[in-house]
Amino acid sequence: MDYRRFLNRLIDRAQGRMENSEAFLVKNKELQIGVYKGEIAKYSIAESGGLSLRGSYEGKMGYSYTEKIDDSSIGTLVHDAIENGRYVEGSEDEVIFSGSESYEDIDHYNEALNRVENSEKIDFLLKLEKEAYSLDDKVFAVSACDYHEFEGERYILNSLGLDLKDKFNGAFTYISVVVKDGDDTKTGLSYRVFKDFYTLDYRKMAKEAVDNAISMLGAKEVKSGNYPIVFENTSFANLLAAFSPIFSSDNVQKGLSLLKGKIGEEIAVPILNIVDDPFLKDGFASRNFDDEGTASTFNKLIDNGKLVGLLYNWKTANKEGVKSTGNASRSYKGSMGISPSNLYVVNGDTEIEDLLYLANGGLYINNLEGLHSGLNPVSGDFSLSASGFLIKDGQLHRPVNQITIAGNLYELFKDILAIGNDLKFTIPSNGYIGSPSILIKSLAVAGE
Amino acid sequence: MLDKRVIEDVLYAALSRGGDFAEVFVEDKYNGSMKMVGGILESSISGRDYGVGIRIFDKYNSIYAYTNDSSRENLIKVAKEAAQALKEGQRDISLNLMKASFSDYNPIKILPSSIAKKEKLDLIKMGYEAAKGYDEVISQVTVSYMEEEQKVLIANTEGVLAEDTRVRTRYAVQSVAAKDGEMQVGHYAPGASMGYEFYDKVDVREVAREASRIAKVAVHADYCPSGNMPVIIDNEFGGVLFHEACGHALEAEFVSKETSAFANKLGQLVASPLVTAIDDGTIKNAWGTTNIDDEGTPTQRNVLIENGVLKSYLIDKLNGRRMGMASTGSGRRQSYKFAPTSRMNNTFIAAGDSTLEEMIANTEYGLYAKKLGGGSVNPATGDFNFAVLEGYIIQNGKILKPVRGATLIGNGVKVLELIDMVGNNLELGQGMCGASSGSVPASVGQPSIRVKSLTVGGRKEK
Repeated sequence: MDYRRFLNRLIDRAQGRMENSEAFLVKNKELQIGVYKGEIAKYSIAESGGLSLRGSYEGKMGYSYTEKIDDSSIGTLVHDAIENGRYVEGSEDEVIFSGSESYEDIDHYNEALNRVENSEKIDFLLKLEKEAYSLDDKVFAVSACDYHEFEGERYILNSLGLDLKDKFNGAFTYISVVVKDGDDTKTGLSYRVFKDFYTLDYRKMAKEAVDNAISMLGAKEVKSGNYPIVFENTSFANLLAAFSPIFSSDNVQKGLSLLKGKIGEEIAVPILNIVDDPFLKDGFASRNFDDEGTASTFNKLIDNGKLVGLLYNWKTANKEGVKSTGNASRSYKGSMGISPSNLYVVNGDTEIEDLLYLANGGLYINNLEGLHSGLNPVSGDFSLSASGFLIKDGQLHRPVNQITIAGNLYELFKDILAIGNDLKFTIPSNGYIGSPSILIKSLAVAGE
Repeated sequence: MLDKRVIEDVLYAALSRGGDFAEVFVEDKYNGSMKMVGGILESSISGRDYGVGIRIFDKYNSIYAYTNDSSRENLIKVAKEAAQALKEGQRDISLNLMKASFSDYNPIKILPSSIAKKEKLDLIKMGYEAAKGYDEVISQVTVSYMEEEQKVLIANTEGVLAEDTRVRTRYAVQSVAAKDGEMQVGHYAPGASMGYEFYDKVDVREVAREASRIAKVAVHADYCPSGNMPVIIDNEFGGVLFHEACGHALEAEFVSKETSAFANKLGQLVASPLVTAIDDGTIKNAWGTTNIDDEGTPTQRNVLIENGVLKSYLIDKLNGRRMGMASTGSGRRQSYKFAPTSRMNNTFIAAGDSTLEEMIANTEYGLYAKKLGGGSVNPATGDFNFAVLEGYIIQNGKILKPVRGATLIGNGVKVLELIDMVGNNLELGQGMCGASSGSVPASVGQPSIRVKSLTVGGRKEK
């Protein structure tokens, strides 16, 4: 199907009734392979997509969508978008955008990934699983050994002449192992997010997952109290990801972020820098334009401890008379929102070994649970199930689990003592979030 | 939704290179939602999810493919592509698709899509005003209205041909209370497998005031103390404890691979004899009720634990093969984009005979967790965590003061043994449960229960 011609037909029909209109189309391809005990236990292929229409009618912006992408859906899309917009209020600031003056021309599609044979991927997984079993007798099961690959295309076409299209791809793989020592059961995970299949090393991944699990055997609580905390890079990145809505200008405007009125103020220690970088090489949220068709821009959010920026789309920008930062984000099922691109804490200059020495008697946290429930992005409070190690004389002394760590993000920003130089990103979801390991002066720990 | 001859052709194509079972899942779903923030109707969206999933089994192995294009040529192409993953030769099969009949546990009176938007807007405003007007400490209110009508068709080479429509309605209120630069959130979101008649039963103003009440209590509360203590978990959504701590580990996805703490324990005492736990997909109009599961098997009432003894797992077709056990009607999926797996429907601990008042009076020092938020579990280890939205410290058998920011952590196997009082006030609460086959509506439930000792994570020393 020639999607541009189809979208042009949709806009033509919409313009018969609407003042302005925009079509947003996403096409996805996915591949998932999972092995279990030397066999391909799971194999999934998919091609799907969705189409959204948004448009203004009597000055009100309405939305509709469908996954049945053909001419038979056009009439319903136009009718429903008008009906949906009828009672919406406060949409005056939401506009259809005519386009930026210029766009970066970075290719986010890695052709080479497309050329890897499926048999190579299966072979990789089989080796990975076998290796994990071979590393230690305590490996009881490999509960997941999976490969996921995705490819997406995005079209934005509107009545003001905007006509953009891009294409991206990527893949990730993970292994989860279960180890048993008597009654003691522990799990360990290793994952890679990549665009170049040939960078994968199954031996390293298997060892990482097995080591992670084995190292936790014999874990127990620590006494409740306040401890210095070293967050391993991806643990802090996961925490930051859960709190990333605080940087959305929409939440700030609605009184759902405590960053309201804090621009220019010191909200963190001077060594903390947080940026949103849509041009990060191989970043999984890298893009040349956002979901409104605005050219992406690099933005500092926290600069040497000072809050210097927030993330905007055109609706929130117009409310304040500023420009969009190119962070408009949506799915075809939803209305225009805001999300970070590649958002990360900039590397500091402390070696990880030194972080551990500085945190004597503290805890090294490499796993956080309950991030979708145990924290409050509005107040900044968190209380999370955690596991990791007790630190003694700069070494990981013994494994710790069944504890919670609790605190407040805004207090934590001021209690950062040192920042590592080992920036790493989490599995991409709403944006692609990264951090180096970070030492915090003290957090409340509940255990024994 | 799809011509019977087309379905047959697709099933034949799916088994053209071997395999011993094939299934077609067709979904056509209307979604509508409206959201009001700060008194302004910020969004109103509707749309149609539409697609087909094709699944092939070859003994314990499963192949899945999905597409939005339901034309005959495309479906056959996709089925053949999926079959490419198999190496064997063709197998002779003969199909005899029989239209399945099953009970209707979710009678619908009024399709939500038949109601004018203006009426829904008034309903949303009513909740907004009740929440905002509850107390001057309430600074922001978000009201979300949700309706969906999901048509499914499931056919497989065992001869099943089942069609059903699932209508669901939900109303959610989030209130923010602000005081001295601090903000706390309260949330309440009842739902049902019902049409618009849901609102004859549920007063949205009550829902709204409940969300604001929780936020107000939290903003006036002190930080929760940390440590091990007895915890009384109240009824309704408190059942998320059993859901997280034990329910997931009873799912065949984990049991079949022996990566569950409850594997190989049928018939054994795994909980306090006070505990009887049930997963029931047939409760009339309940949030997690479906007439058939997403594999076309009629849902049923599964007693999981009876007087502390493990009686049953939650089983889907694929994992049932590995276990040599039949499906319990528990194969569920978010949409055609997911292969189904074993999931919960409406899971709850059955009523006992204590009262909440007795539990509090018999607790010298502990936490009364009146409202719980969400949580998660590692099914292999059984380690769980969940958030307390509304909690109170109990001292000398009396409620002392509200506390906030508490998290409960523990181990599913151990916590079941530590339940020492079970109340008589069973209620169900509604949530969305996320796992490998996506996010599905599920009820949790229990009467008030007391756990002898749990780790409470807070920010203060005891």
